Amino acid sequence: MLRNRKYVLDLSDLQYKQVRLPWKKKFLHILLWFAGSLVVATVYGTIIENMFGSPKEKLLSQQVENMKLQYTLIGRELDNSLATLKSLRLSDDKRYRPVLDMDSVPESFRKAGFGGIDRYSDLTGYLNSDLLIAYKSKIDEIKSMATVQKESFKTVAEKSLEWKKEMDHFPGISPVSVKFRLGDTFRWRTIHPVLGTSRMHNGQDFEVPYGTDVYATGDGSVIESGYNSGGFGNCIVIDHGYGLQTVYGHLSDIKVVKGQNVKRGDLIGISGSSGLSSGPHLHYQIEQFGSHKNPVNFFNNDVSSQEYNEMIQAFASKSQQR
Amino acid sequence: MPATKYKFNPDSLSFDKIRLGIKTLLLRLFAYFIGSLIFALIYWIIFASFFDSPKEKALKREVEQMTIQYDLIHREMSNVETVLEDLQKTDDNLYRTIFDAEPIPSTLREGGIGGVNRYEALEGYNNSNLVIETANRLDKIRKKVYIQSKSFDDLIKLAVHKEEMLKSIPSIIPISNKDLTRTASGYGWRIHPYYRISKFHYGMDFTAPLGTDVYATGNGTIVEVLASQRGLGKHVIIDHGFGYKSIYAHLNNFNVRVGQKVQRGDIIGFVGSTGMSVANHLHYEIKLNGVNVDPVNYYFEDLNSAEYERIVEIAAKTGQSLD
Repeated sequence: MLRNRKYVLDLSDLQYKQVRLPWKKKFLHILLWFAGSLVVATVYGTIIENMFGSPKEKLLSQQVENMKLQYTLIGRELDNSLATLKSLRLSDDKRYRPVLDMDSVPESFRKAGFGGIDRYSDLTGYLNSDLLIAYKSKIDEIKSMATVQKESFKTVAEKSLEWKKEMDHFPGISPVSVKFRLGDTFRWRTIHPVLGTSRMHNGQDFEVPYGTDVYATGDGSVIESGYNSGGFGNCIVIDHGYGLQTVYGHLSDIKVVKGQNVKRGDLIGISGSSGLSSGPHLHYQIEQFGSHKNPVNFFNNDVSSQEYNEMIQAFASKSQQR
Repeated sequence: MPATKYKFNPDSLSFDKIRLGIKTLLLRLFAYFIGSLIFALIYWIIFASFFDSPKEKALKREVEQMTIQYDLIHREMSNVETVLEDLQKTDDNLYRTIFDAEPIPSTLREGGIGGVNRYEALEGYNNSNLVIETANRLDKIRKKVYIQSKSFDDLIKLAVHKEEMLKSIPSIIPISNKDLTRTASGYGWRIHPYYRISKFHYGMDFTAPLGTDVYATGNGTIVEVLASQRGLGKHVIIDHGFGYKSIYAHLNNFNVRVGQKVQRGDIIGFVGSTGMSVANHLHYEIKLNGVNVDPVNYYFEDLNSAEYERIVEIAAKTGQSLD
């Protein structure tokens, strides 16, 4: 230890005196040294950070890049969803609504609750604000589109059931197999076959032999069934709703009762020649909101008897399922 | 000037002046440098474990926000996916209800025109690009071949009246149908909406809202503008010459008179639901020498090959016709 002691030559008394630093000075030294090392460390740190960036920073940057990749991946899903929604919207607007005679959902409603600049103000001020806002607004757009689409489909679904129901109720087929010749048509008749006077013929006659099956031409309820003193003889009137009624006259037998609900293709009666009739035939007439319509406009005339039978059988099996 | 320092030499029992050689100085400097580095490292470790640099802070905030938003989007996305699945099911059900046919497969739906990689099977070979391009070109040619594969008579006629004939033959879609979603029912056996049996459908149905413009598909003369309540309802027949006639049925209103000359693309009427029709739509027929032909073969003027293929596919579906 002696070896490490330092001495100073005191010129006043020419003696070597051991250098003793007071504790205050020692402390100051250490402090100075510490401060110096801090300064040097800062300099190193600044240089390294500026040149390479800290490892922590690198790690974080890596994480940001990873997130960006994740966003890109989910972005693909978002784009898929958008495409799906767009195609759903197309089939909504171009397929279903025109068929159901519904207006398409207005653009303003489709875009409702969307837009506004301040929506994403909490996302500003980040390095990747643009990215965040882009994805956020995309998912919001998808959400609002999906909501609107859901609502829209709901109304379309309701309307489509309504439409199907209306179609089922529409007197859209011929009441007898159309292999039979059409008789006197809907026209002003100069001579009534029985009365001999001039009179409007409000329906369509089918020249069918006595005993031919007569079918309901659409769903509805029987509002009249029985003998009609006005000339139709044994007669059935079916109310189809939607302002439509059908009349089946001159029947020999009636298979339904008043108040009964019938389906298209149900056997409702047997043809005959009752009432004001000069021979066996079926008189069929259609009223729409109280005015007589020409029945030939309501059914296809080019259905073969085989096709007609197929149809009746199909309706029958469908009725059994219900 | 600091006082000269001495060291006591116990061997010689004298005080020696402390002299620092250049080597010692360098060594000391180096030691200082290493020391400072070590200290700097220690400081840095301590500092970093307690504090972040501004850059790090910003990055940390960034990562945090990105993660939060990602999780949000991800969660919402899975919700959306459920909703979308629901919607697609609804869509399919609606399609079944309204058109009485199996819905269009989702590849068609999602892919859209050109979206599906139709040449995927050809990928992965050395000359994939070449093969795909060739197949692509072949597709285009296949469509063009249609015109060329017409009968010899037609070719002779074509040679003589080429320009006039090309303008006259119906060769566009009669309504604006760029997205190809309007095609409801094609030519062939289709379910009749009332009879519920298969009936031959002689035309092509396009769904469109009431009042949509209907275009003449080729140059010609209007030969019939009839408001018959029966069957076709309000309909227009155009005689294009060269044996071609086109019929546009169930119109709501007319825009032409009998005898009038029309050009391809002229508005001849507006979509409606007159006659034997269950919904607003256009029923379009083409007759060649009095015989009905499939209109789908006559859209070569305004569709590209992918669109053409798609409309053929849609039209081939056996669904319900609307008349």
